[in-house]
Amino acid sequence: MITCDEFMADLGNYLEGDVAGEVRQQLEDHLSHCQTCQVVYDSTLKTVKIVTDSGSFDLPELTARPIREKIMARIRDVLDS
Amino acid sequence: MSFLQEVELSKTFPPFASLEKVFGFVPNLFRAQTLLPRAIDAEAGIAGAVLFEEGALPRIRKETILLVVAAANRNAYCLTAHLQALRALGVPDRQINQIVVDYRHADLSQPDMALLDFAVRLARNAPWLSEEDIGALRGHGFNDEAILEAILTTALSGFLCTLSAGLGPSPDFEPPAPMPGVTTPAPPGARPYVGGIAGPYLHAVELSPASFPPFAFFLERFGSIPNLFRAQTLRPAAIEAEASAFRNVLMPDDFLSHVQKERILLVVSAANLNTYCVAAHCEMLRAMGVPAEESDQIAVDHHQADLSEANKALLDFALRLTRHPSEFGREDIDRLRNCGFSETHILEAVVVTALNNFINTLQMGLGTTPDVEARRVFGPEDVHLPPTVERHTEGTRDDPDAALVARAQNGDLDAFEELVTCHSRRVYRTLIGIVGNIEEAQDAMQDTFVKAFQHIGNFEGRSRFSTWLVTIASNAGLQRLRERRHIESLDDSAPETDEEFRPRQVRAWTGDPEELCSQAERRGLVESAMMKLPPKYRVVLILRDIEQLSGAEAAAALGLGIPAMKARLLRARLMLREALAPHFISNTRRIGL
Repeated sequence: MITCDEFMADLGNYLEGDVAGEVRQQLEDHLSHCQTCQVVYDSTLKTVKIVTDSGSFDLPELTARPIREKIMARIRDVLDS
Repeated sequence: MSFLQEVELSKTFPPFASLEKVFGFVPNLFRAQTLLPRAIDAEAGIAGAVLFEEGALPRIRKETILLVVAAANRNAYCLTAHLQALRALGVPDRQINQIVVDYRHADLSQPDMALLDFAVRLARNAPWLSEEDIGALRGHGFNDEAILEAILTTALSGFLCTLSAGLGPSPDFEPPAPMPGVTTPAPPGARPYVGGIAGPYLHAVELSPASFPPFAFFLERFGSIPNLFRAQTLRPAAIEAEASAFRNVLMPDDFLSHVQKERILLVVSAANLNTYCVAAHCEMLRAMGVPAEESDQIAVDHHQADLSEANKALLDFALRLTRHPSEFGREDIDRLRNCGFSETHILEAVVVTALNNFINTLQMGLGTTPDVEARRVFGPEDVHLPPTVERHTEGTRDDPDAALVARAQNGDLDAFEELVTCHSRRVYRTLIGIVGNIEEAQDAMQDTFVKAFQHIGNFEGRSRFSTWLVTIASNAGLQRLRERRHIESLDDSAPETDEEFRPRQVRAWTGDPEELCSQAERRGLVESAMMKLPPKYRVVLILRDIEQLSGAEAAAALGLGIPAMKARLLRARLMLREALAPHFISNTRRIGL
């Protein structure tokens, strides 16, 4: 039976689906017995989903357009010089 | 394991013993040549004289040249080997990765960058190299000994890259993760075609055949001392090693005949547009009874020459290995086997081609004038080369931007504008992740696209275009942080202890957090929590969880190894989890913003 620290050490790879075989089995055994790690695993997974779906730091079209115009103007300057 | 048969050689075989001494093991590249010990002897001699002999350039600079040229040549075997060598010399992984991805943004000194610019130009666009390039190096404080050593090192890189492409040895070390956006040299563009005979560029000293045996050897063999060797007298050990390579590789005729080898040297030199070497090999062939017109025909297009099919196949083989090394493989070896060539013949063909590429690069770097009157000066349009096969790698096969990128590379501004439109949001998110400030992110976004436009000619489709852009954005963002003297916050590689991010919030979350609040509210929560993270954690979250780059892509964009990137990502996710937890634990009825 692995410890909570050992579970945490592999959590990153487990979240990415990067563990297989015996290690994966050990992690899942640990999860089925340890309420704390179960919560951490579940809430980290949810965190990733919230971040991914949040549309954070999106650039509104109204802001983007003048920036694009500036970019193209600078590029034309580069070409002219 | 390599393309050809290998046999057991004693550990006391002197070149193996000296390789073992230098590297601690015998690299697979040399194990792949055990059928021809005299070739290993010649190569170990050249590598020793150029790389391990104390000279005007420190070993670390020479290894950096070898690394960058291997990257420009897309040669995984050499890339891995030199990466390992730099590691052993104490260069941090992060910097090595950045040198591979883009040495111009790897915190190198101006002289170091100038040296690498020179090496890449010599390796990839030698016929356009001129006295001006040598002058630029002198301007950075390099003396002629150091410049000669840089030329020799670049030539050595060409030698090793050709050998490994032709022999297919397994890498001696775990290869690095795929790295997008490897620096490529700018195309020659409007630079004048020099053809490698405008020198000699470097100062040389007089050595007498009476006291310097390699010159006595050349005098006896060629009737005079070729200018190519006279131009290297600042480094006699290199001339000695080259003379020994002539003896060990080009002179024996126990497998390939002299004429066969001279034809390879002629054809490959012509393909490399090397006027000096073409003239020299035409002269050698003439001395062997081959009429000048026939040599000319072989140089320009050997398929039209009066040669047997097997001999034409041999020249095709050498040309493909020189011009398209990254496509070269077992089928090319099999083609020669089917023509009746033995394993040792094929091995020798690889070694002769590789040695030729060493000599060609060396000569172009020195710019020596021909020893005999050149029948023609070779220009890009003079030689019939096998057609270039379009090469697509994993990353580009399904790059949705490929068509727009190709148009933009041909100067189509509308196509580039469309790329800006498609990717401005992605670039902006990357930048805000790094600089953490809206206005600055918008400024850096302009810089990113202008830079992408200026360098789009160098984009070769090794990664998706979007990944390449994110790498540029990430460098632009880091540059701004550096200017704000906040670099320590991203560079901080001090080991973080487990305690630091041991989860504190351990109450269960609600089943579906997305039901608890609107997307706008979630976005507000995520943005404010992320802005409170140190930049190094924020950026990795943006690249992986918002931009959805692969682990390898994110690692390369940040100049990190994959394990370091993974560790940072997990910490970032756990830190964000702590910040979000109060809003999503299951008995919270409504989030308190």
